[in-house]
Amino acid sequence: MTTNKTFLGVPVARPKVAFFELSSCEGCQLQLLNNEATLLDFLSLVEVVRFREGMKEASDDYEIAFVEGSITRRDEEERLRVIREQAKVVVALGSCACFGGVNQLKNRFNDLEWVKKEVYGSFPIETQKVKPLSAVIKVDLEIYGCPIKKEEVERIVTALVLGEQIHHPQYPVCMECKARENICLFDLGEPCLGPVTRAGCDAWCPSNRLGCWGCRGPAPEANLSQLQIIMAERGISQERMIDRLECFGGFAAFVAEVKEKKGEPK
Amino acid sequence: MTTNLECLPPVSGGEFEYSYKAEITNVYPLTRMEKLYQIQLVDPMERERFIFRPGQFVMLELPGIGEAPFSITSSPVRHGDLELCIRAVGNMTMFLDRVGRGTRVGISGPFGTHFPVERMEGEDVLLIAGGLGIAPLRSPILSVLETRSRYGQVDIIYGARRPSELLFDYEYAMWRQFDVGLDIIVDREEPGWQGPVGLITEILKERIAKGQSDRFRERTSAIVCGPPVMFRFVCDLLIAAQVPVEKIFVSLERRMHCGRGKCCRCNIGSTYTCLDGPVFDYWSVLNLKEAI
Amino acid sequence: MLFKVFAASELSRLFEILSVNRIVGPVKKGEDQHGRSLYDFDVVHDIAELHLDYGQTIHSAKNYFLPYRENLCTFTFQDEGSGDGGDWHKEVDYGVYAPLVLFGLHPCDINALNKLDKVLLGGRYPNPFYGEKRANMFIVGHSCSPQPFCFCKSMGTDSAIRGFDLFLTRMDDLYFAEILSPRAFHLLEQIDCHDPDSREHHRYMDLMEAKEALYVAHVDTSDLTKILDLEFQASVWQEWGQKCLSCGTCAQVCPTCYCYGVEEQVDMDFTRAHKEKRLYSCNLLDFAAVAGGHNFRPESHTRLKYRYYHKHRGFVEAFEESLCVGCGRCGQSCLAHITVPEVIASVRASKEEHDDD
Ligand code: SF4
Ligand code: SF4
Ligand code: SF4
Ligand code: SF4
Repeated sequence: MTTNKTFLGVPVARPKVAFFELSSCEGCQLQLLNNEATLLDFLSLVEVVRFREGMKEASDDYEIAFVEGSITRRDEEERLRVIREQAKVVVALGSCACFGGVNQLKNRFNDLEWVKKEVYGSFPIETQKVKPLSAVIKVDLEIYGCPIKKEEVERIVTALVLGEQIHHPQYPVCMECKARENICLFDLGEPCLGPVTRAGCDAWCPSNRLGCWGCRGPAPEANLSQLQIIMAERGISQERMIDRLECFGGFAAFVAEVKEKKGEPK
Repeated sequence: MTTNLECLPPVSGGEFEYSYKAEITNVYPLTRMEKLYQIQLVDPMERERFIFRPGQFVMLELPGIGEAPFSITSSPVRHGDLELCIRAVGNMTMFLDRVGRGTRVGISGPFGTHFPVERMEGEDVLLIAGGLGIAPLRSPILSVLETRSRYGQVDIIYGARRPSELLFDYEYAMWRQFDVGLDIIVDREEPGWQGPVGLITEILKERIAKGQSDRFRERTSAIVCGPPVMFRFVCDLLIAAQVPVEKIFVSLERRMHCGRGKCCRCNIGSTYTCLDGPVFDYWSVLNLKEAI
Repeated sequence: MLFKVFAASELSRLFEILSVNRIVGPVKKGEDQHGRSLYDFDVVHDIAELHLDYGQTIHSAKNYFLPYRENLCTFTFQDEGSGDGGDWHKEVDYGVYAPLVLFGLHPCDINALNKLDKVLLGGRYPNPFYGEKRANMFIVGHSCSPQPFCFCKSMGTDSAIRGFDLFLTRMDDLYFAEILSPRAFHLLEQIDCHDPDSREHHRYMDLMEAKEALYVAHVDTSDLTKILDLEFQASVWQEWGQKCLSCGTCAQVCPTCYCYGVEEQVDMDFTRAHKEKRLYSCNLLDFAAVAGGHNFRPESHTRLKYRYYHKHRGFVEAFEESLCVGCGRCGQSCLAHITVPEVIASVRASKEEHDDD
């Protein structure tokens, strides 16, 4: 089906999009199905040719590929390369695809064989260090969040279809948190990664009185050395801070740096 | 007396979000990067009443896409038949690059200060532009040419990176007919280029060497448009040639979201580029921290 | 100015009369980890929710006069797809349909509104989004007790002489009322009050005098505009910049920070688009970035410095007063402990450093 849509007189094509999942919980894709009110509009904007969560048929003729999940097996790398070949635009959907996500937590165990045994027993399974998409292919666009925010995806997809440039907020979560007039978690004695995490979630966690876990990764100018001071001043241990920073993989480089300083293996 | 406080009628300021409906009547590609957009206010009355001065800017809005400031590049005598020279660099301008004739856009303004060409009458005028600076400079150039007899010696100096990036080259012959000195220089040569190669400051130095210092001191005004790095060098040369700082005018670019002195985005120190600028005399520039 | 006095017990009557309107006042939001109460402005339905004894709220009341997010206009598109571009219609709505009572503003916050009036309602382009809200606001001010971080005294904003309808000063069992508008005058006609006698005058003056002694934080503003200019390159700015998180918290909680950005968004079905204004902060990374990518203030210290320049130099130059009312909120909320008194003192001290050389 092709519609002759225009916007301000500029012809706007309805691109074919496909959704793929590597190692993930498929929670991000579920988010997209979440609100039926806008789902129809979404489907009028793009032609979905592949979506495991929502349809049976699957086509390999697509222009935009949304890839959810991180890479944990070699065959996934292969699949990803095929997707890259086919798609004009590859979008990393969600924090697993962008940074490795919760999956990459196992990277902190040095002996992956041990992890495998502990988790899967003697069941034969291949596992390697968890990687984000960008470690294997060129990614055109990243949509952060665990899970992603449906409204944000809709905004981004509209912009993509219109051929606009995609802008992510350049400021940290605190900016949005203040706009919602939340009580700062630090005042409640709780740690929060809001000061260093890229905004865009509308301060989802702090608005529910939970400290931010940094699922959107670092803001472009994350002042991590000041974050360490803030945590230390409030008696929040470095272990607790690192646990948080490690959770989604966005702060991996910084965590490695801190661990190295402490003389710990990475 | 009722304690249910009445809702008061709207206050003044209804023009704040007002924009003229305008139509893109023509689009001419000038170079690989820039296009000239002819934009006409749709309402004939509004078009006639649209009065601006050279150097002023308008906010151009593509509904749903964005709004951005552009200095008007056409002559003030054309009122609401505007020409804007726009480089496709940001989100809004890249979309604009794709729209065609007949598209309806929003125009608000004119905003900001202007080049006081009326105060320069009877004097020699130096019009200097680097790169895209020719866009804001073209309006005072056309203004001066239209009333050419009121000015003394008029010189235009224009520098671009390469010959293929020269803007408005189809007009140079016409400008020359008005008894003006027109010197064009490029940083890098390209096949077919016969003019000089080098920095704009070299041409300016030559021009200054030819002039007389009392004329510079007493009856010369200069207008300088271009990237910030260029102002510095050009203005320093002019000052060294004894052109008074208050008679050197520059146009400064900043990010703007409102054009009305309310969003702060274009602020330099205490100064709103959109209200107190974009045109400043160099004396004011010297008083602004971080301006250039 | 007219003065009246009424018994503290009459306040609930006053509140009740006003409560046919929407009332916003200080409410308790919770307690911090040390058991201290945390306050913010919110809609109050019952006088019991109103905590007029609040020290300071975390955020200012700006959401009610400069909302963090505000729709500037809505575009409706017609005939898209007809091939000749189609047309659109622009609709602007200031969004004010009912008056608002701000109950319990301290002098600093009233003065903040007075300052904003100058820049937002003055000049060639008065902002009607703000103007509409201001015109439909009934302000009941309330006396305060200076907190350790308050430096309004230094900024000359410790008392409000205009910009309110009614200002109430608590004197134990009494309220001393200052009346600035006929609306407030008629309001007081409906409760039991009387003209103050000389004993009550003196009680009021004694109270004001006692307040003076409570100020702990100070800012030396003498010659500040010039010192800021002279110390533009001072190294202390870099030191503060190293701490700054570029998070914008300071601007968000500030009653006078008014900078904003505009974003436009097309609906997914292309029938409508919205233009939204969002409060921004000069501390944010891309505040001074222009199309094409050039950023005029790429380092955090230049942005932080700029915030101080705008408030304590630029605004003073334009309006002969500072844009800071000394409410101390920015310093209280800043996780890096960047406070106005300390920053200004450090800039002044860097002057003394050179003096020593
Ligand atoms: S709760 Fe977190 S995000 Fe919110 S202001 Fe505090 S540190 Fe920032
Ligand atoms: S507050 Fe932090 S952890 Fe929560 S959704 Fe936002 S970025 Fe993710
Ligand atoms: S001064 Fe403090 S509150 Fe303001 S941006 Fe910097 S860290 Fe954030
Ligand atoms: S700058 Fe800080 S102290 Fe001054 S008015 Fe704003 S929040 Fe209050």
